[in-house]
Amino acid sequence: MALGKGNIIPAMLRSILLSLVTATTGLVCGMIFGLDYRSALLFAMTITIVVVLTDMLLQRLLSRNSRRRTSDWFTWATDRIGGRSGVEPAWTGVHAVHARELSAAIAGIVGEKSDLQGELRDLEVTHQVAQAGIRQVQMALDALQDAVIVTNTFDEITVMNDAACRILGLDGPASDHLQKPCGEVVANDSITTAINDTCRSGRVADTRRLEIEIDTGSQPGVFEACTSCFRSSHDSIGGVITVLRDITREREISQMKTDFVSKASHELRTPLSSIRAYVEMLVDGEADDPRSRSEFYKVMQGETERLSRLIDNMLNISRIEAGIDQIERVSVDMSVLVDRAMDTLAPQAQAKQISMSKRTEPVSVTVEGDEDLLYEVILNLLSNGIKYTPEGGRVTVSLDLDNLSRSVVVSVSDTGLGIPPDALPKLFDKFYRVENFKRFAKGTGLGLNLCKNIVESVHRGQIGVDSTLGMGSRFWFSIPMRYSGSQAA
Amino acid sequence: MSNGTILVVDDEAHIVQVVSLKLKNAGYDVLTAFDGEEAFETLMREPVDLVITDYQMPYMTGLELARSMSRHPLMAETPVLILTARGFGLDDSDLQIENVKEVLTKPFSPRGILDRVASIIALNTRGKSEAA
Repeated sequence: MALGKGNIIPAMLRSILLSLVTATTGLVCGMIFGLDYRSALLFAMTITIVVVLTDMLLQRLLSRNSRRRTSDWFTWATDRIGGRSGVEPAWTGVHAVHARELSAAIAGIVGEKSDLQGELRDLEVTHQVAQAGIRQVQMALDALQDAVIVTNTFDEITVMNDAACRILGLDGPASDHLQKPCGEVVANDSITTAINDTCRSGRVADTRRLEIEIDTGSQPGVFEACTSCFRSSHDSIGGVITVLRDITREREISQMKTDFVSKASHELRTPLSSIRAYVEMLVDGEADDPRSRSEFYKVMQGETERLSRLIDNMLNISRIEAGIDQIERVSVDMSVLVDRAMDTLAPQAQAKQISMSKRTEPVSVTVEGDEDLLYEVILNLLSNGIKYTPEGGRVTVSLDLDNLSRSVVVSVSDTGLGIPPDALPKLFDKFYRVENFKRFAKGTGLGLNLCKNIVESVHRGQIGVDSTLGMGSRFWFSIPMRYSGSQAA
Repeated sequence: MSNGTILVVDDEAHIVQVVSLKLKNAGYDVLTAFDGEEAFETLMREPVDLVITDYQMPYMTGLELARSMSRHPLMAETPVLILTARGFGLDDSDLQIENVKEVLTKPFSPRGILDRVASIIALNTRGKSEAA
């Protein structure tokens, strides 16, 4: 950077004055030190030149430096060394080359620092996104009903959800148990053994499954534990993921299904046994007189009807339970259905000299429902009343209106055997039959269950029984007059 | 001359009737009962050569009847043939009772029952004579 014109004249005057003073001083000093005139003059000139040049250099340096702030020092020094920004290089040759290299290196470092700051900002953003992702994954895991436990190859827990704490009965949040040895946290030998075995196997595609019972507090539950190895980012084994799924309900349903098939099979085999045996006897000519043959035919006919009724009941219950039945909801006069059922069963009642009667309130007993299914309920209850009432007894059907629930209540009362108190809670179960009554009358063990399904699932009504052993029974059901939606239908 | 006396036990009257007729026609004397308790009382009064019993009956099952018989000195040697309509048959552990010789599944053939009855009684008679 050149000096301004305003500074040139004072600087020259200062140099002239300085040279005069220096020359004079040099001459005097030379003479004092005993130099001859020529030597003293040469000395004075040399001193003068040195002093003037030094002064000029200092002036120039000070004038540049005074105009720069501290923060510009680095740039200024670089300019000076590298000869940039129009300033003539102060140094030349090797020094200048080194200076340029140094400048370039410093510029590179400055650039890298800037790049690193950018990368740091990017990493911070990436970290925040990753943290949000981890939180979201943890929240999703905590929303699961299944327990999830992830362990690393050192058998330390790295991930665990709330369900795992709940199922395993652990105190505190899942985060309290992270980085701890799995064996210390999970106090179930079956699970820890499965995790260790899976980790040792090192097979990623191999999922191990086992069923275990865990006492979750209220009652023991059956759980399926699935353990699988997973790979790390380096393609080696990263650890084991364990999922515990509650299969208690599935097992219960499976058991219920097995029991149903077993009971259904038993109930189907019994009439089939009679039919097969009697047919074989007829084929073998074991019934040689017409009276015996006629009796055999009647037995076979009765057992065939029993078998048919059993299958009908099973299918009806199955259809209703599956909720796929086509229900035809119409206005049904329950009094008319009761009359129809009484007409149908009149021969059975007369055969046992049982008197049947109907008692109804002088009000409308019309409901919204499926006529055929409601008839099936009345027929079943009335038929049971006749079957389990000794000869000469009485069966009464009553129709009432429950104003509170806006329902029609149908009751079938008999003067029959009555039901033992321990049998009452099981009376509407599938295939349940009161043992002591089996010889009294034949049944499928499904009639009352079908009634319960029709009343409660299809019509959202209620069904029940009041009975005293030896004093008769009163079976009743209520159907809302206006249907307001059903879960099953 | 009678081929032997057999007690037929079932809560289904039709089954008792048809099995009894088949056995009577084959020359056996037949006693009947409709549950396990009644059968046990009958056996206390009258010894038989074989008991044919249903498995599922009120008061006392066929298996309980067989077990009670095996513990009683008068009936411990009497062979038992069980008829069952159970869907999955009986557990093997339930059938480790000495006197249960055969388990037949319903629906059964009266001819098949007759064959088994003949062989069980023959085997039991031979066993008794050898022991004597």
